[in-house]
Amino acid sequence: MTVPEAAVALNGIIKRFGDVTAVDRVDLNIADGEFFALLGPSGCGKTTTLRMIAGLEFPTEGSLRIFGDEVGTLPPDKRPVNTVFQSYALFPHMTVIQNVAFGLRMQKVAKAEANERALEAIRLVKMDGKEARRPHQLSGGQQQRVALARALVNSPKVLLLDEPLGALDLKLRQEMQRELKTLQREVGITFVFVTHDQEEALTMSDRIGVMNDGELLQVGTPEEIYERPANRFVADFIGQTNLLDGTVESDGTVCLRNGARVPVNTQSLAAGTPVAVSLRPERAQLHQPGQQPADLPHVTGRLEQHTYLGNALVLTVALDWMTLDVRVENLSGYSAPALGTEVVVSWDRDAAVVVRA
Amino acid sequence: MNGVAPPPAVEASPETERAALRADAWRGFLLAAPAYVYLMVFFVVPLGIVTMYSFATRNRQGGTDLQGWNLDSYARLDEPIVRTILFRSLWLAVVTTVICLVIAYPFAYFIATRRPAVRNVMLVFVMIPFWTNFLVRNYAWRVILENDGIWNDAVDATGTDTLVDWLLGLPHWIQWAIPNWIEHLPSPLFSEVGIVLGLVYGFLPFMILPLYAAIERIDLSLIEASRDLYASGRQTLRRVLIPLSMPGIVAGSILVFVPSLGAYVTPQILGGDKETLLGSYIVVQFLTARNWPFGAALSVVLVAVMLLATRIHFRSGGRAL
Amino acid sequence: MSGSTVKPKGPVAAALTVNAFLVYAFFFLPIVILAVFSFSDDRLVGRWGGFTTSWYGEFWNDTELTSSLWVSLRVAAVSTVISVVLGTMAALGLERFRWKSQRFFDSVLYLPIIIPDVTMAVMMLLFFTWGIDLTNEAFGTNFAKGFATITLSHIAFSISFVSVVVRARLAGMSLELEEAARDLYASRWKAFRHVTFPQIVPGIAGGALLALTLSLDDVVITQFVAGPGGTTLPVRVFSLIRKGVTPVINAVSVVMLVASLLLVALSVAVQRLRGGSITG
Repeated sequence: MTVPEAAVALNGIIKRFGDVTAVDRVDLNIADGEFFALLGPSGCGKTTTLRMIAGLEFPTEGSLRIFGDEVGTLPPDKRPVNTVFQSYALFPHMTVIQNVAFGLRMQKVAKAEANERALEAIRLVKMDGKEARRPHQLSGGQQQRVALARALVNSPKVLLLDEPLGALDLKLRQEMQRELKTLQREVGITFVFVTHDQEEALTMSDRIGVMNDGELLQVGTPEEIYERPANRFVADFIGQTNLLDGTVESDGTVCLRNGARVPVNTQSLAAGTPVAVSLRPERAQLHQPGQQPADLPHVTGRLEQHTYLGNALVLTVALDWMTLDVRVENLSGYSAPALGTEVVVSWDRDAAVVVRA
Repeated sequence: MNGVAPPPAVEASPETERAALRADAWRGFLLAAPAYVYLMVFFVVPLGIVTMYSFATRNRQGGTDLQGWNLDSYARLDEPIVRTILFRSLWLAVVTTVICLVIAYPFAYFIATRRPAVRNVMLVFVMIPFWTNFLVRNYAWRVILENDGIWNDAVDATGTDTLVDWLLGLPHWIQWAIPNWIEHLPSPLFSEVGIVLGLVYGFLPFMILPLYAAIERIDLSLIEASRDLYASGRQTLRRVLIPLSMPGIVAGSILVFVPSLGAYVTPQILGGDKETLLGSYIVVQFLTARNWPFGAALSVVLVAVMLLATRIHFRSGGRAL
Repeated sequence: MSGSTVKPKGPVAAALTVNAFLVYAFFFLPIVILAVFSFSDDRLVGRWGGFTTSWYGEFWNDTELTSSLWVSLRVAAVSTVISVVLGTMAALGLERFRWKSQRFFDSVLYLPIIIPDVTMAVMMLLFFTWGIDLTNEAFGTNFAKGFATITLSHIAFSISFVSVVVRARLAGMSLELEEAARDLYASRWKAFRHVTFPQIVPGIAGGALLALTLSLDDVVITQFVAGPGGTTLPVRVFSLIRKGVTPVINAVSVVMLVASLLLVALSVAVQRLRGGSITG
């Protein structure tokens, strides 16, 4: 094939466990050299998808190709992919170097060469000097590095990572996020990364696939996912947002639940479609009544609560049918209106996104 | 990947998935098959044969005719002598179980509330009797209880026999308060007291270990919570500790009750000829009386009691014993 | 266990402590007494008549006892090896795979653990009597009860105990370890050989020790399936005790006791290896 082949191509992949459909007709192309995140709440099917790519689970239906080769029904030891497991799954009875050399030894690489390459991989993840340790003598972060080395040493065509940072504390997690990103650029291998942490997915990946209930809802760059969520779930799951339910009107406005009409970009949705207007807290502005810019969409409510975040404030405004969060930077001299006062929330026409309910 | 040429694979379909699941099921079955076949031949078939014999007829020569199936052997369960033996065995098994429970519960709690290091040492010293040869442990009591042995010396030295005589000589109107087993206390060998002593000694570890496991699993801060909520120690024991350790209580009780009911070695070594128990009675049917159908029927009854006990165990939320 | 209310105070604590001491005394005094009296130079088993080792000598010169000791060891060795292999395979088949009649097998596997000795003895007696008669009639062979029937019976109850212990170990082992091995190009067999097996060795060793102990302990079942030719040491001792106790039995008992203690020591060592709790 001459067209640049996808590193991983899923075509109509379905996985059923008994009556439960864990993965429902997923189509997905992951490009060579991409850092791809599969994001979703627990039980959404992202880990099952990853396990099917690894060969630890066989699809019920569909085609799964790695660089053009169909692998859907191949056992894991016959696939050019390696996995970093959630628990790291380091072999407790082996030393670090034995762990890292394991994959090579299983591929019948001679012991001397395997050890040499394992040492190289250990250096790559900055664990040199600890080759003779056993996993239980290592910290969580160190175990994670060994798990990475153990997978990378085999030069897999695709590296799969199952919530690899989940067990680390915040500080270490942020550090590892940066390192993983750098490492991926260095080795140039396609990374497929499963996480439930939207912030992690946004900061690390080239592209994100958002899953829920076994369905792949949207695939796109972090920016696309955040700015133009495909539906209500994605808008809600990625970052914070206010969702104002309403219906599309024929004149390109949305009629909100209280009857107010707000002009938005309805993206050629047919009139009568139930939708939600997604308004990010940081994209909304708070005004005293009557002081809002005239031509901007707006709603009126009463200030209900302040939440102090340090660098910002979140002001919760009670509308007559829901509450709205507005984020205000904590600039010097800023003072929020008193609780209970009437306020107006406005936003730029482009700042609000209409999503299918 | 190095040198592993991926063999051609097909697209996944419900057929390929089913084939993979089937292959996996086969692997599991084949792994278990040797043990499976072995237990079918050397356990399930024997169990079936025993059941079959329990419906057969004993002939004049003391053999068994495998024909003319009947319930005669089961009808004999209602004979007074058989009933006495059954009830005596049940009674002694219950007494043994209760004594074990009363001794083991505070003991298990004591272990469970020690520091881990102390706990492990204490447990090792429970494991020793657990692993020690059962016959030898019963025999040790035989040596102690022998005539002119250590027990007799101790009884003489402490004046226990005088005390017992005095108790038994008390006026009639207070005799009801004195359990009649104490008459065997000065010389328990070849009495029910001796049997219960041997059974408790033999099976106490079977009670301690599951109780310990159950109590250890309880989040002991629950006890603090209970005390914090104004429960007294006694109320905490009754309303928190005992309900939460119920799986251990049930498991331990079954592990003591079932073997006590079928006990053979202990009554033979420490019991007398007068107090035949179910286990010995079954053996007699096979080795002396040569009434195999009746012996088989008694064994089937024992299995039924055992199955009933395990059913209770699983009903009460227990897992493997 | 940070709190103060968990450990009882005052009279309750005292009672618990006293109870613990009494339990240990109850466990160990009889064993110690037995050991001491095995060195007593008196024909009466419970009487001290000065130190002697002559009873051990008498045991050693009693060919009936020593030959039955030999039978015991052979039976224990053979039945342990076979039941460890079968029990471990069964544990793997049940714990790592899903198949059709699994639940039935699971309950069958469970029965020998809970069934009373006497019942199992009766079952084996009838089965072997019947089976041997049938075989001898059909094939003109000359089988009789003896070493083989004893060993076969011991395997029948040991498999279950081994598989329970190994299964506990397997259940405690993360599935991800095996998956990682498979992911790292190990075939099923190699994943077992290099990852699963080393992980469950303590369980297998624990199961083996249990099987060994059970085989060396058994009296009732062996008594029923032993032939006229030979039987195990516990059965021989048991029939001697029923005839009347002698100091030689003390000596034999202490030998069996020492064997048990060695097995306990071994099993404690195995638990250490597991790094787990004693009961786990």
